[in-house]
Amino acid sequence: MIKLIGVRKIFPGRNGKEDVEALHDINLAINENEFLTIIGPSGCGKTTLLRAIAGLVPIDAGEVLIDGTPVRGPGPERAMVFQNIALLPWDTVLANVAFGLELRGVPKDEREERAHKFIRLVGLEGWEQRMPGELSGGMQQRVGLARALAVEPKVLLMDEPFGSLDEQTRRLLQEELVRIWEATRTTVVFITHSMEEAVLLGDRIVVMSVRPGSVVEIVPVPLPRPRGGRIDTVGWSTEFLAITAHLWTRLRDMQPDLVRSKEALAGVSS
Amino acid sequence: MRSVAVSSDVRERIIESRWTYRLIAFLLFAGAWQIFASLAGTFFVPTFAETAIATVRLALDGHTWEAFLLSNQSLVLGFAFSVALGIPIGLAMGRFRGAEQFTDVYVNILIVTPMAALIPLLLMSLGFTLASRVILVTLFAITMVIVNSRAGVRQVDVALLEMARSFGASEWQIWRRVLLPAALPAIMTGVRIGLGRAITGMVIVELLMVSVGIGNLILRFRGVFEYDRLYAVVVLVVIEALVLINVARAFERRATPWVAPAGIRS
Repeated sequence: MIKLIGVRKIFPGRNGKEDVEALHDINLAINENEFLTIIGPSGCGKTTLLRAIAGLVPIDAGEVLIDGTPVRGPGPERAMVFQNIALLPWDTVLANVAFGLELRGVPKDEREERAHKFIRLVGLEGWEQRMPGELSGGMQQRVGLARALAVEPKVLLMDEPFGSLDEQTRRLLQEELVRIWEATRTTVVFITHSMEEAVLLGDRIVVMSVRPGSVVEIVPVPLPRPRGGRIDTVGWSTEFLAITAHLWTRLRDMQPDLVRSKEALAGVSS
Repeated sequence: MRSVAVSSDVRERIIESRWTYRLIAFLLFAGAWQIFASLAGTFFVPTFAETAIATVRLALDGHTWEAFLLSNQSLVLGFAFSVALGIPIGLAMGRFRGAEQFTDVYVNILIVTPMAALIPLLLMSLGFTLASRVILVTLFAITMVIVNSRAGVRQVDVALLEMARSFGASEWQIWRRVLLPAALPAIMTGVRIGLGRAITGMVIVELLMVSVGIGNLILRFRGVFEYDRLYAVVVLVVIEALVLINVARAFERRATPWVAPAGIRS
């Protein structure tokens, strides 16, 4: 279980500019084997929150606890999937998937055997010896996912992993992720800016406020599981649409400056 | 017209080959030289044909080889020093702020100083020795190696560094698995450009300072007005440079196969 207690993060302003408070008093408990999605307006600090859990950025106040142990840096029980995928362009798919294991000193034969297993799991069998540059964006992110899964983490941290993919590829990968997750059931913290994605994937949705980011609401998703296979059938249900609409209302109301009033528009047209 | 049909495949290949274009360009150049030199009618400018003959004669002469061997001592040693010192210095400058601040000003001096201006200085301190030739070649080449290695480390994708860190990589693992491979294309470019500069340095030092080897040949042929042979020496230096740089380029491509060839494909 992951616990965040009063987490605060401030980025010091450079060259005399004011400090920026990215996270403000975040309190959150993430359950074991839970798929938690986090959504918020852009710049709300959701990625910073994930990086704090990953141990990639120090926090200024509060505590991130994983099974009671405070986070002081990256650890073997966590693995991350990145928005910009971050594959090593000079290594084969196989070596990329085995990278985390390699860093941990797992012998070559063993790590490649384990990498093969996860390459099969993400549906890239036969592509082991290809270079990342030869793969499409969707396939590259499958490699990124396999690399994170290969270290068999207790917590999978996903930072808008499908954000840079096109709509169709994204849907296919969402289905794939649900299928894999329903088979493995690791704890997942998944950052997204897509309401549909947050609902489709999550057990619960954390809604964050505009900067400084804080938790404004936790929305449970009572959609039945398994949602694997054809998640689009879930996607058209009334419950799904109701939760999505609710999220949009919350997010829209948070950003009144960006929502132009009817009067303002009328002023332009007259 | 059977013969045409048979040869059309061959013809297509000739048209598509880059060597065809190189040959045409060379013939145009050679023709222009020949015509210009004939019209000029002065013995300061030998014709292309004269130079070509002199080049072949010189290439078959054992003394020429001796001169080239002698000159290349400074090239080999100076270039080796440039690579052995320049890469670590550049990498350290790219990664560590301290190393950057420590050496930055000297590297900048090296970049802006005309190397030929250092020759009197070297002469006074080391005299007409192999050491002073080697040092000058090193000074010519090392800046390119340093600057490119530094740029290579600097332009490493920070996402890759963060990824490695998130999987628990140590500083040594980050160097071996991320920084060095990512910087390798830039390092190789620096080495190749450095090689070109080293060849320049090798010839310049012999023309201006220690009159041995190739530089000595050039000065001697000029002294006795044998301009065809003088040009022939230059042609031989150019040939050596082209061979070495193409070897470096081939090595570069083999070492960094994931890099798409930049610019015009050859």
